[in-house]
Amino acid sequence: MGSIKDRYAIVGVGESERSKNSGTTPLHLALDAARAALNDAGLQAKDIDGFMSYSENDSCTSHQLATYLGVRPKYVKDIMGGGSSTEMLIADAVGLIETGQLNTVLIYRSMNGRSGVRMGGGGWDVNMLQSAIEGGSFIIPYGAGSPAQWFGLFATRHMHETGLTQEHLGHVCLSFYEHAQRNPKAYFYGKPLTMEEYQKTPYLSYPFKKHDFCLESDEANAIIVTSADRAKDCKSKPVYIMGLSARQCVSHAHYWNDLTEVAADYVAPEVYKMADVKPEDINVASIYDCYSWVVLRQLEAYGFAPRGEVGNFVAEGNLRMGGKLPSNTAGGMLSEGYTHGMNNVLEIVRQVRHEYKGSDRQVENCEIGICTGWAGPDMAGAMILRN
Amino acid sequence: MEFQKPIPLKTQDNSPYWDGADRHELILQKCKSCNEYSHPPGPSCAKCGSTELSWESQGNDINGKVYSYIVSYRPFLPGFQDDLPLIIAIVELNKLPQVKLIGNILQCSPDDIEIGMPVKMVWKEITEDRSLPQWTQV
Ligand SMILES: [Zn+2]
Repeated sequence: MGSIKDRYAIVGVGESERSKNSGTTPLHLALDAARAALNDAGLQAKDIDGFMSYSENDSCTSHQLATYLGVRPKYVKDIMGGGSSTEMLIADAVGLIETGQLNTVLIYRSMNGRSGVRMGGGGWDVNMLQSAIEGGSFIIPYGAGSPAQWFGLFATRHMHETGLTQEHLGHVCLSFYEHAQRNPKAYFYGKPLTMEEYQKTPYLSYPFKKHDFCLESDEANAIIVTSADRAKDCKSKPVYIMGLSARQCVSHAHYWNDLTEVAADYVAPEVYKMADVKPEDINVASIYDCYSWVVLRQLEAYGFAPRGEVGNFVAEGNLRMGGKLPSNTAGGMLSEGYTHGMNNVLEIVRQVRHEYKGSDRQVENCEIGICTGWAGPDMAGAMILRN
Repeated sequence: MEFQKPIPLKTQDNSPYWDGADRHELILQKCKSCNEYSHPPGPSCAKCGSTELSWESQGNDINGKVYSYIVSYRPFLPGFQDDLPLIIAIVELNKLPQVKLIGNILQCSPDDIEIGMPVKMVWKEITEDRSLPQWTQV
């Protein structure tokens, strides 16, 4: 198979209303997001022959979504997965279109992430967790039940090895909160953050304070992918996929004997090679931000700053507007909303389309963007997009 | 008073480890094919896939140093509300640095914990017949 570079495009994006308590079901939210994405693309539900979703058993099925859009597509697929699944499912969709099995695919994530099942921990049966997580009986009895704690172990070690400080974590939060002030739909719109406030806030789980944690929200997002040829018939301006890669494993397994490598270290060279670009060619980014530190580790993995210099990179304001790499420009999951990464993908599509042209939210001269996913230290995905 | 926190579930694949813990002894799974330790234990070696596994006692004088840690100030699981702040650490064994074990550092102030800190394994009797390996500062 030849290179897929520039031969596939994202032609529609959409979201439901975002709230802390939707008062409705994930199916209703998914229908709202799918209709918005179809409208954005100028397509009808019958034009979609593949529906895919990812969830943690907290969503509706693709079959239900298609049914209540009034269509009977050829293909539905629902996977269990977290924060790198958008990129992985887009890769799956491209493969299915490339082999002639499908034409146009809608991918969504729908969740009552605040009022329903909360990813941050709480409310789970501890014995279920011991069995559900591989090696769980070696983790759960020690009180380690949240990704904040698991990823925190990586963060403390990485900070120790590379000289990252609490203030560097704070700069990630401040940068994204600043972006949220330009996004009226962001949770923390109207609530900017200062370094003084960040510094004096107590830890929830060292090295993370509340600002270092992502939000939890009730929300659905949807994305429509098709071939570059079919994209020409859509109403929206297509955003072309230059490269994409997803990975679910690293060399160590399910218990963290080695805190030095993460899946993003493997995904980065693949995605740059496919796209045939370098980190310095990227104008705008959506870096998966379930926790502030995860952004810093990915900036290193994706080559935006050398190991040991990532802290200075963010302290110099490079994630802000006018910086070298304006990132998570809707506020990210730290301050806009949380749909396991998909809201960050929607934003990068809109930036690369120049949808905010004429407003201070548009990143100037942005032709190429990257979005990254992080479902864990061992799971990553990335996609490079162009205008 | 009844133990409020999760008790390690013994399974077909991990019971020699937890049976050893109940006797206050560290028992590790080791692969006979590639000679690597496999922790946490599993149905076959996670390094090479071999089913030729053995169990090796490390005795009860287990020393290590903190490889990484976090300090939680709120309980993320039920039962831990009286254990705050809770230090969760990955400890590298002195004799087998390739083996790292997750546990709590007991009776340690968050101000004192640091990477490299020497620690010693202790066993906390959590029920009449179960013990949990833990760590204290040396
Ligand atoms: Zn082996």
